[in-house]
Amino acid sequence: MALQKLRDMLDKKEISAVELTETYLNRIKEKDTKINSYITVCNESAISEAKNAQKVIDSGNSTSFTGIPVSVKDNICTKGIKTTCASKMLEDFVPPYDATVAKKLKNNNAVILGKTNMDEFAMGGSSQTSYFGGVKNPFDTSRVPGGSSGGAAASVSADLCAAALGSDTGGSVRQPASFCGVTGLKPTYGTVSRWGLIAFASSLDQIGVVAKSAEDTGYILNGIYGYDENDATTSKKSTGDYNCLVGSNISNLKIGIPKEFFGDGLDDEVKKAVLNAAEYYKKLGCEIVEVSLPCLEYAVSAYYLISSAEAASNLSRFDGIKYGLRSGLGENFNDLIANSRREGFGNEVKRRIMLGNYALCSGYYDAYYKNATRIRTELKAEYAKIFEECDVILTPTAPTTAYKIGQQENDPVKMYLADIYTVTVNIAGLPAISTTCSYDTNGMPIGMSLIGKSFDEKTLIAVCDRFEKDFERKEAVL
Amino acid sequence: MRYQPVIGLEIHAELLTQSKVFCTCKNEFGGSENTRVCPRCSGLPGTLPLLNKNAVYLAAKAGFATDCTVNNYSSFDRKNYFYPDLPKAYQITQFENPICTNGHITVKGGKDIRINRIHIEEDAGKLVHDDYEGISMADYNRCGVPLIEIVTEPDFRSVSEVQDFVEQIALRLKYAGVCDARMEQGSLRVDVNISIMPVGSDTFGTRAEIKNLNSIKAIGRAIEYEIERQSDILDNGGTVVQETRRFNDNHGDTKSLRSKEEAHDYRYFPEPDIPPVLLSDEDIEEIKKSMPQMPQVRFARYTKEYGLPDDDAALIISTKEFSDFYDETVKINPDYKQVSNMMLVELNRNLNDLEKTINDVPFSPCDLAELVKMSTDGTVSKNAAKDILKIMFDKGGKPMEIAKNNGFIMDNDTSALEDVIEKVISENADTVQSYKEGNEKVFGFLMGQVVRAGGKGVNPKLAKDLLTEKLK
Amino acid sequence: MFNLELTRHLANLSKIHFTDEELDKMTEDMTNIIELMDKVCEFDSSKTAYSLDAVNYNDLREDNPKDSYPTEKIISNAKNIKNNSFVVPKVV
Repeated sequence: MALQKLRDMLDKKEISAVELTETYLNRIKEKDTKINSYITVCNESAISEAKNAQKVIDSGNSTSFTGIPVSVKDNICTKGIKTTCASKMLEDFVPPYDATVAKKLKNNNAVILGKTNMDEFAMGGSSQTSYFGGVKNPFDTSRVPGGSSGGAAASVSADLCAAALGSDTGGSVRQPASFCGVTGLKPTYGTVSRWGLIAFASSLDQIGVVAKSAEDTGYILNGIYGYDENDATTSKKSTGDYNCLVGSNISNLKIGIPKEFFGDGLDDEVKKAVLNAAEYYKKLGCEIVEVSLPCLEYAVSAYYLISSAEAASNLSRFDGIKYGLRSGLGENFNDLIANSRREGFGNEVKRRIMLGNYALCSGYYDAYYKNATRIRTELKAEYAKIFEECDVILTPTAPTTAYKIGQQENDPVKMYLADIYTVTVNIAGLPAISTTCSYDTNGMPIGMSLIGKSFDEKTLIAVCDRFEKDFERKEAVL
Repeated sequence: MRYQPVIGLEIHAELLTQSKVFCTCKNEFGGSENTRVCPRCSGLPGTLPLLNKNAVYLAAKAGFATDCTVNNYSSFDRKNYFYPDLPKAYQITQFENPICTNGHITVKGGKDIRINRIHIEEDAGKLVHDDYEGISMADYNRCGVPLIEIVTEPDFRSVSEVQDFVEQIALRLKYAGVCDARMEQGSLRVDVNISIMPVGSDTFGTRAEIKNLNSIKAIGRAIEYEIERQSDILDNGGTVVQETRRFNDNHGDTKSLRSKEEAHDYRYFPEPDIPPVLLSDEDIEEIKKSMPQMPQVRFARYTKEYGLPDDDAALIISTKEFSDFYDETVKINPDYKQVSNMMLVELNRNLNDLEKTINDVPFSPCDLAELVKMSTDGTVSKNAAKDILKIMFDKGGKPMEIAKNNGFIMDNDTSALEDVIEKVISENADTVQSYKEGNEKVFGFLMGQVVRAGGKGVNPKLAKDLLTEKLK
Repeated sequence: MFNLELTRHLANLSKIHFTDEELDKMTEDMTNIIELMDKVCEFDSSKTAYSLDAVNYNDLREDNPKDSYPTEKIISNAKNIKNNSFVVPKVV
């Protein structure tokens, strides 16, 4: 159900906030054992938040979030609620403070149903590296939900929340949204505060929204965006009013199709579906132009070098001394922390830390890290050039649809290559939205992505919404 | 000496900000364990640094104080290493683009020591070690205290150059309000990089870095010890290894902390959480304008323009407050030498007696200017001026009022003084007789009697002339 | 070329303990990963002289101190505390 409709029902007292929350909590209790989308379910605090929300509604002072039940990815700090990053390292970590987005949800009386499962420390595209067990795709529980915000996407897809907050470092909101048949928005870097988001790669991380529609992602973004004095990388350029263009005429827009995104490695069904979507826009009157992003061939490597370098540094603080798993082994400081990190981190996290230190260490820095940042500059320039001509860019979200659990998540190189269509957006700091554009022969959702100009989420949402309005979306049946 | 030392310095100075460099905790010294800590400076996951504007401005001031270029663009980097006093496991510092570059300070003897750079960084926490239990305990109160690091070129060739440089840096930073430069408290810390080479050579040897030097004296002792140690190694055909050494003040020696093989690979990279700093030309000009005149400039003014002896000038500039007081005073009464004398001798005597500093002086430079004028133009005697100054300290009041109320105004009325002298002569007939018989030593006694009888207002020169006359 | 020695070096930089067996596996994984990463070395960086982005410069924070956090909250997630301090095996 659309968030605006839920809002109206709550405000018209057709349903109480407590009833709504209980409905979701009961559904989680009943269904989540099948998909494991939540790490922590906040049964008690959610009800008490719903009661408070109802009081606000009763007083006639409700705001857009009042009483809306949402899930929050478990790498976003919630005061007094365990925040684990799906890692054994932070199995019992309880933050003493709220992330800015959590605070915005709470201040506006949203109901936090729980903390969603994910790839450990948001590193992965399958949500299978979680210490708390993998997440399953609500469309087919033998398949992955994508990642790293797999729990967020699955929780929305399976109706275990009204909307979800995730985080997107290289596609972690868009790709699972694509796999789970829902909509995922990754805002422009600097739109949503990262204060309280446990960092993976600081220059790429951005909190995003998974919801049932583009309009719903805009609805949530309206309540969480904005400059934050706690995060120096937030921008004052973010506009707000993200649904202002929904329903407006988009036929005058120019949509770029970057040819490099439709080459080898793209599944035929996916390719066809995305090109069909281009046809749809063409019929509306949009101009479809072929554009080029020559740097794409370097993007995966550049992304993994930059993100892993930052991750290696960001994750160094997890040593078991101040918080997190502390090994019983270790005669001296170095042994103690090396054992704590050995026991606390999973294999993929260890690989990324090793890769990151490779990229940064003496003798390799110039060839790897430095070159990766040059590619970053070049990529931004290439995007800027495209946006001189185009309003939005249309691409596939992922090379394939959701694959079987166990099929490729143990092959790091294969996994990394699968990120090719999403990582450039993070490298360039741009906004992008993924929505379902078709279903493959197995009935799995196929995702397409629209990439926009910096701080132009409203155009993306409008263009995406236009497609969704004419597209018959399927519900996952659990 | 057959070997020539080659020395460079890395000086860490704590900045006098109100809050820490990347969070809002108070920037103070000491305190109970982990009481001045927040999620940011304790490195909790999800937290982000927020750069303190004042830290940037003070670092820029340090640049101006040392003739550096203050850069429009500067940025931060992460220095990665694991240590229990560093909760994030990286130190935020400026590596690629420091705020200040290319400065210099002229040391005694006229040699220029080049300053490579000044950059901003955060301090680490404090460890307390418990030998009995075999543990170290980390207190993060000092984490995030703002520091600047001043890095020189290896331009020093002697202990005295180093010591003079450090003294000058400390003084200039204090003048600029950048740092209180208390070496013993650790607010100014000096690391010395030292190598030796044969006299006449121009190829530098392998250097050792000496840490933990907390006084000017310790710097001298450590360098001298290192020259000896490295000379011994070379004399015996050995090679000096590149390493970090710690100076032990009790033993007067240095011990190896870690060698180059164990040296860290810090894996510097740009700090993604802190956007770069852009200071406009106007910002930089504004900071420059807010700088007080530096001590070395004042020294030159005092000696060259005011004609003060070097020693006096050096004493006046020893604190900014003292020098400011002097400057304010001579602005009103440009009798440079007399004001200098009054301050260095009489004012300082009072301050010493009262165990106070120039900041505690209860009167204004204007008052002091007047007092000096009264003393030099004969309104009061030199001795009376001293007494007036003491009263100004003890009870307060304007010098002229004090002089009037206490009868210090010099009496130039000859007839009154003649009466006093007559009286003294008649009351001390024996002494007068003795004087007339050639015992000139008693003149002083008679003068004393005159002054005592005549009161504070007696003009000593006039009294002396008249007494001499009367005794003829 | 990636090898076991480099893996050991990186493990030391990363402060992660590995068994010998794990080191071998990690070397194998890293060899494949680095092969993928080597792509960036082919990039001709000579043409990227320009940077077009309007850089987001720092809004510097005013120097106003605020209260710190209660000590018990700062240390609440630590496993080993003494004298309100974080305990580690003795260093130095």
